[in-house]
Amino acid sequence: MPNLTLLFTVPFIASLLAFIIPAESKRNLKRIAVGLSLIPLLILLYGQQHWLGSQVAYSWFPALSIQFHLKVDALSLFFLYLTALIVPISILAVRSEFLNYPNTFYGLVLLLQGLLIGFFTARDIVLFTIFYEAMLFPLYFIITIWGKDERRSAAFKFLIYMIAGSALMVAAVLALYFVEGAGTFNLDVLTSIASSSPHAKWLLAIFLLAFAVKTPLFPFHAWLPDAYYQAPTAGTILLSGLLSKAGIYGILRIGIELFPTLMREWGPFLMGFAIAGVFYGGFAAWRQRDYKRLIAYSSFSHVNFILVGLFVWNETAHSGAILQALNHGVTITALFLVAGWLEERLGTTTLGEVSGLAKFMPQLCWLTLFFVLSSVALPGLNNFIGELLIFFGLFLQNPWVAAFLGLSVILSVIYSLRFMERVYFDEPSLYQDSWVDIKGKELMIALPLIAVILWIGIYPAPILNQIKPAAEKMITIATTTERQ
Amino acid sequence: MNLSLSLIDFAALSPLLILLGGALSLLLLESFAEKTSKQFSFVLTLITIAAALYAGFLAPVSANPLLTPWIKFDPLARIFTVFFLSIGFGTALLSSSFFERFEATEGEYYFLLLSSLFGLILIGSSADFLTLFLGLETLSIALYVLCGYMKKWHISHEAAIKYFLLGSLGAALLLYGIALIYGAIGTTRLDALLSGYKSLATKEGTALFFSGIALVTLGLAFKAAIVPFHVWAPDVYEGAPTPITAFMAVGTKVGAFAALVRVFMEALPQFNPLWNEGMALLAFPTLIYANIVALRQLQLRRFFAYSGISHAGFLLLPFVAGTPDALSALLFYLVIYAIATLGSFAVLALLDERSEGVMLKDLYGLFRRSPLLAAALTLCLFTLAGIPPTAGFFAKFYVFKVAFQAGYYALVVVALLTTILSAYYYLRIVGVMFSEAPAKEAAPERSFPAALVGLISVTSIIAISLYPTPLLNLLALSNK
Repeated sequence: MPNLTLLFTVPFIASLLAFIIPAESKRNLKRIAVGLSLIPLLILLYGQQHWLGSQVAYSWFPALSIQFHLKVDALSLFFLYLTALIVPISILAVRSEFLNYPNTFYGLVLLLQGLLIGFFTARDIVLFTIFYEAMLFPLYFIITIWGKDERRSAAFKFLIYMIAGSALMVAAVLALYFVEGAGTFNLDVLTSIASSSPHAKWLLAIFLLAFAVKTPLFPFHAWLPDAYYQAPTAGTILLSGLLSKAGIYGILRIGIELFPTLMREWGPFLMGFAIAGVFYGGFAAWRQRDYKRLIAYSSFSHVNFILVGLFVWNETAHSGAILQALNHGVTITALFLVAGWLEERLGTTTLGEVSGLAKFMPQLCWLTLFFVLSSVALPGLNNFIGELLIFFGLFLQNPWVAAFLGLSVILSVIYSLRFMERVYFDEPSLYQDSWVDIKGKELMIALPLIAVILWIGIYPAPILNQIKPAAEKMITIATTTERQ
Repeated sequence: MNLSLSLIDFAALSPLLILLGGALSLLLLESFAEKTSKQFSFVLTLITIAAALYAGFLAPVSANPLLTPWIKFDPLARIFTVFFLSIGFGTALLSSSFFERFEATEGEYYFLLLSSLFGLILIGSSADFLTLFLGLETLSIALYVLCGYMKKWHISHEAAIKYFLLGSLGAALLLYGIALIYGAIGTTRLDALLSGYKSLATKEGTALFFSGIALVTLGLAFKAAIVPFHVWAPDVYEGAPTPITAFMAVGTKVGAFAALVRVFMEALPQFNPLWNEGMALLAFPTLIYANIVALRQLQLRRFFAYSGISHAGFLLLPFVAGTPDALSALLFYLVIYAIATLGSFAVLALLDERSEGVMLKDLYGLFRRSPLLAAALTLCLFTLAGIPPTAGFFAKFYVFKVAFQAGYYALVVVALLTTILSAYYYLRIVGVMFSEAPAKEAAPERSFPAALVGLISVTSIIAISLYPTPLLNLLALSNK
């Protein structure tokens, strides 16, 4: 069985190395950092199916009965792959020549990778909370040190929102501990008894608030535009590709597994927020005069779409939502990546200052178009499968809502193509020297993302088979708890 | 009855005796050989404290009836002794860095520091109200002088006078309370308090006893700077020399809580739910007020006064709960708080240049000037804010758990909400450090002693965060 301890500790050791390796050549340092960040992916690929069920458990804080307990199940594995894939790409998105304090930067990104791996495998709810909070800080520093002009206030706002959102989580965790018959923080044990807490409603509300701020669910997204906009490209990728998934994972792990009955009851209500978020994000993206903000709002819209899938109570929609979490992670990473390249060349992210870039940078244009099409769920690309499953699940529950939500797809086509048209296809502006098309190196970075997008779009069966047990398990837990 | 002290008794008392001897010899040295004193007083202080620490670990337990009614030799006393001496060691190092920069005589400074340590240890091992009071006064009188030690600093004058007047008031209240308790039950021995309370028959006696308890609580709350008895703290912290502020933030705070532990956790555990309710009533305003006012502080010594008050609020939670776990939770919190505060002050000591101390604006761009200092201060502030995965999170979690178990849900919720505020003001400092545009270009001063304190704090925070079990086992001893 593969070694989970190794998987968990490698990023931390890598992070330490990145902090202390002398930065003689910035390019070499970047290479080393990329290499280090790829190790978890290799470890994961090496283990493949054998990862399921592997675990480690040490007594960590006996006086508080906190256990250092990590375990991989189908759901965890899925998010682990996402983490292992996105983090190297976020490092690759960095222009090493222009990076101040490179050691600190790589160290923080690798630290975040380690914290995310811990988060996606934690089976002790205190450990879960610790990783959930701790992952904010590398991101905070990434935004505040390497962001754009208004970075400090954006980073601070981001952090305070997050802390405020999850402040009461500790109380909820303690309340679970003192539920009749619990006396443990072990999630597996809590699964069967959490619902019996007399305060279950409050507890779920507290957890949902924390996850809603992080994901973010409409209307808890006030931190998002600034944080996404001000962060450096790598930071934006990490925020949109991975941090939002932490919220989704939290809803799956704590919300649905611990409080299935309540989640089912509250589903329609929560779905209302999520659908509002889908449309709000779409309209907001439509109105942006800045393409980085446009992508930020489109990400917000799509994340809320995933949440719709989670709040529908059937297996199909859940499978769709989990798949869509991966798809969104890949697609939004790709979009911010190409937007970052565009920004490097234009020196601005404002829409409409220059246009017709397809003429000067055809490769970047087609690459962007490919990712945009993936984002608007073109059949044959990854998002199509996920959204279809969500629609299908929603349709079973309520055809009218499904039809209404369908309109959002049109909206996403409108704002995405508007972006393409304004930047790449209008009347060409006068050529400037900095407009160099992307080269093989950049295509190589994008290649894994293209591969995943096509793979899921054309032949999703293997991945869906992976997701199925996770989604089934959740519904099973729900039904058994209800029967009790 | 054996009326003489044997060698074992002296050995048991050795930490106190070593401190006393060291302090007196410093005073003599300063009086007769000022130049030698300037050179050696710091080294002598360190040696004294180190020797006392060593003795504190090894000291045997005395059962001499001459001593036991006054001084306890239990594991808790040992923990407190070692704890206070470590704080003293850190303060002495910080002081030496301070005197590298500011001119002043040093001999009597270290004498006063050692005296206040003596007082602290006496508090931690007191078995009688009188020893407790003696300890508190030895501590306070030395501190009154230390606060105004920089005679040329204007802000110090106000601080020293204020501290002296209000401190005397606190002491008077405490003493009056002790007198009332004596009047009610006829003894000042701590171990006789509970039985005395239980055998109170008359209404008058009970009233007397409760008035006494109320005054004692008030007096100690005063020393611990708990709202609404905190008014002295911000001004005094602001005006005192930086190492003394550090000592007050850590030493005095822990000392006051040690006294509260001795009286209310050991002598009178859960004696009356009314007292716990009263403590809850103190905890609410302490948490809310201190955390809100700290938002607006610009002078960092003053900032740490409010931060210290807010931590006193968290530290009240175990007293409110009063469960068997409470003592461990309290001690764990105190240790983490002390380490992180001393670490922060170590960084401030390296930046200290004026009598007003370090202002928030001096920290602009610290990361650019000195990444190591910025990282160390960030870690300490994160710990103080209780941000996972630092040990500060566990400390808060432990305290919350204890309070939650005892059913004080509202208190836990309020405390958690105030942590949002505290996160805000601690992180604001962090944000300032990581901004561009340094306040000045020059690298911070180098001073080995303060750097050592910072290094020790940072390493112990990391070590405790990763593997807290040894420390917990150490602190759990006192439960048995």
